[in-house]
Amino acid sequence: MSHMVNPLATPDQLYQRRSFSALPTELQDAIFFSTQCLTQAAGLLLQLPQSVTAQANVIIARYWLEEPMMSHEFSDISAASVYLTAKLSPYPRSPRDLALVYNYLLSPSSTFFQPLASASGDSPPPPPTNIPNDYYLPEHIYNSFHTRMLDCESRILYALSFNTHVSLPHPLAITYLQALDFLNTSKSTVSKRTLAYLNTALLSPQMLYLTSQPNALAVAAIYNAAKDVGAKMPECEWWEVFDVDREELGFLVVGMRSVDGWGRKMREDVERIKAETESGKRGGMIRRRDVEGELRRRGLSVGNGYAKGAGGTGAGSEEPVDMEAEMARRMDEKMAEIEGSAS
Amino acid sequence: MTGKGKSRWADSAEDAALEAQLKKEKEEKKRLKAEKARKAAEAEKKKREAEAAAAAQRRQQHQTGDDDDDANGPPAKRRRLSPDRDAPPPSQAASTASSSNDSSKLLRFEGGRFGKCRSVENYDKLNDIEEGAYGWVARAREIETGKVVALKRLKIDPKDRSGLPVTGLREIQILKDCSHRNIVKLKEVVVGDDTSKIENIFIVLEFLEHDLKSILEDMPEPFLASEVKTLLLQLCSGIAYLHSHYILHRDLKTSNLLLNNRGQLKIADFGMARYVPDPPPPKLTQLVVTLWYRAPELLLGAARYGPEIDMWSVGCIFGELLTREPLLQGKNEVDELTKIFELCGLPTDDSWPGFRRLPNARSLRLPSTTSSTSFSNPTTTALIRAKFPLLTTAGVSLLASLLSLNPAKRPTAHEMLDHEYFRQEPKPKHEAMFPTFPSKAGQERRRKRETPNAPQRNQKGNESGIVDFSSLAVGGIFGAGREREERGGGFSLRMV
Repeated sequence: MSHMVNPLATPDQLYQRRSFSALPTELQDAIFFSTQCLTQAAGLLLQLPQSVTAQANVIIARYWLEEPMMSHEFSDISAASVYLTAKLSPYPRSPRDLALVYNYLLSPSSTFFQPLASASGDSPPPPPTNIPNDYYLPEHIYNSFHTRMLDCESRILYALSFNTHVSLPHPLAITYLQALDFLNTSKSTVSKRTLAYLNTALLSPQMLYLTSQPNALAVAAIYNAAKDVGAKMPECEWWEVFDVDREELGFLVVGMRSVDGWGRKMREDVERIKAETESGKRGGMIRRRDVEGELRRRGLSVGNGYAKGAGGTGAGSEEPVDMEAEMARRMDEKMAEIEGSAS
Repeated sequence: MTGKGKSRWADSAEDAALEAQLKKEKEEKKRLKAEKARKAAEAEKKKREAEAAAAAQRRQQHQTGDDDDDANGPPAKRRRLSPDRDAPPPSQAASTASSSNDSSKLLRFEGGRFGKCRSVENYDKLNDIEEGAYGWVARAREIETGKVVALKRLKIDPKDRSGLPVTGLREIQILKDCSHRNIVKLKEVVVGDDTSKIENIFIVLEFLEHDLKSILEDMPEPFLASEVKTLLLQLCSGIAYLHSHYILHRDLKTSNLLLNNRGQLKIADFGMARYVPDPPPPKLTQLVVTLWYRAPELLLGAARYGPEIDMWSVGCIFGELLTREPLLQGKNEVDELTKIFELCGLPTDDSWPGFRRLPNARSLRLPSTTSSTSFSNPTTTALIRAKFPLLTTAGVSLLASLLSLNPAKRPTAHEMLDHEYFRQEPKPKHEAMFPTFPSKAGQERRRKRETPNAPQRNQKGNESGIVDFSSLAVGGIFGAGREREERGGGFSLRMV
């Protein structure tokens, strides 16, 4: 039974994230979306099966309902959750593998979040040239990454009471499709489309994986896929066979379909925020300092935000440590820049 | 009734009074019972009403309009998540049935919730139970409820740069997933008060007074046959639960079996456990299970193994329950295998096809089966019977099958539960009738154990799992079972 159910977020947890956190909602969504995309990209480069990467996605989403987003660098949380889920799976990855992959993904040479063609019509910039020096990993950078990652790992485990259980809807969806005889269409087309919906739903800031059980997600993905490929569904209320009621199905169907448009908007948001940073480069992963800059531009005080965010979850005592970690991070980055320019 | 049972006409006033009194008492009892039932029903009803009210309140709180599910049913609607999210049902779905909500019963899956760890300061330490290779275990009391629990500290090596130990995480996850009366219950995980750095992690487990190992060590007389059956049945049903949930324990031994004062046995210490799919993956670590309880295929270096290794350990525990002594106390891998062959006989290509292909079997020199008949290689059953003369035939057959060298021949936990041994007289003793013992964990520090520990994951030197059995000394290997043997060695084991 435990293989079919997930612990779900309580309404309080969801509400608290929206109301007490310091960050404006659309910024939170942008961060959430980018971090989940980054996690997926890292999973691909680490050659992890989707079953592991998707678990990491869910772990991140749960973690951010417990701790404020700004307390750690987003990419570190992503790395720690991938490291943790891979460690518990049959496909463990070494800290160095993770360091290399994340170092590359965050480097200027990476094509991660390559700017899209903007609405105003100017063509997207050419893909970045591959400069291996960009993602050369010196030992001290590796060490500090490693330390931060382990720190985040225990932080995540603490925030989730060491409950790392994630049940994914993917296998259920295939089983349900088999039960439905693949809706009399091509097996691979409808299955692929179903899995695509399930994977996309991982990125949704609506956190569908934290609000619905796997069986409901599976049914909604099948429903959407069947609509897309034009398959004929049973006339009756077939979702009830899989213990999903119409209301929940409707909510999930809309939720899953909206991720596409939502994602595009959020990528534009991230690009805009990135473009206003000192480097002025449009692409790449959003960082904490980008968010801080954005908050400053909007006239929202960063310090205030921290305090409110931390206070909201009752963890006010962590302030000084965060400051220290922040300092260490800044110094590391400075060092990296010096190293980079020297070599 | 009182002394004049035979006199049929003795309808004296006394009798009538007695009868009346009895009747009255009976009626009184009946009335009380009815009263109780009524009260219970009332309480139940109240509870339901309260639940329904709470559900209604919840719904109201989240400003939902509809209120159409009946009060007695489970709060079956999709949980409201936030005020602003009223999903418009898709028109396609809306066109089909509209009034089906009240007719269909949908299963609701309760997966619990997630949240931060509590602090260890919620517990008051009472005394240490054990400190050893496993880490530190203490008896403690939850301040709020006064409940006594066992606190187990997760061992973390600060020099280990791979983060929190995967064994500890697996133990927590597996125990969280398990819910069975013969498996120790994990209540929660707590951390030290300083949450800025997660270093002190404690697993809160239900407290049981004893472990089987120390009871066996201290008892003057062995368990009765009926008691052995009770213990084995409980152990077996716990293992059947684990195996049907794809969990291998991989470190079953008497010191990991806990017993409370109500005769209940629970399996503990899942530090070696893991989920193993069926069929098992091609490569699992062989460095599992404490040496004395380790199955022969593990000693021979099999990387692909399954639930059978736990059943071997059950066999070893069975033997230990009968004699109060660990069954196979090998000093090292080679010695352990020697002792196994002494007890169970030598494997042959017939009894265990393919064992010669196991990695460590190469250095093993056994007689070829062609020269020796079944006469020269007595069966496991015969050897077991010689070793346990007091055990019934059914008991011998069960023990012999558990200690089959060939893993495929060992019974599964479910098969074992149905074994004739448990149906024969003496029947398993009722748990409530189980004798009690003075609890060591409750009062005093334990003696140091001499059981070898479960293998360490990153033990140096033996990581490859390769054991050289060429030095297997088998001079007197059949000492126990070969009295009848007159032809001399039908085999020889040579040193290489």
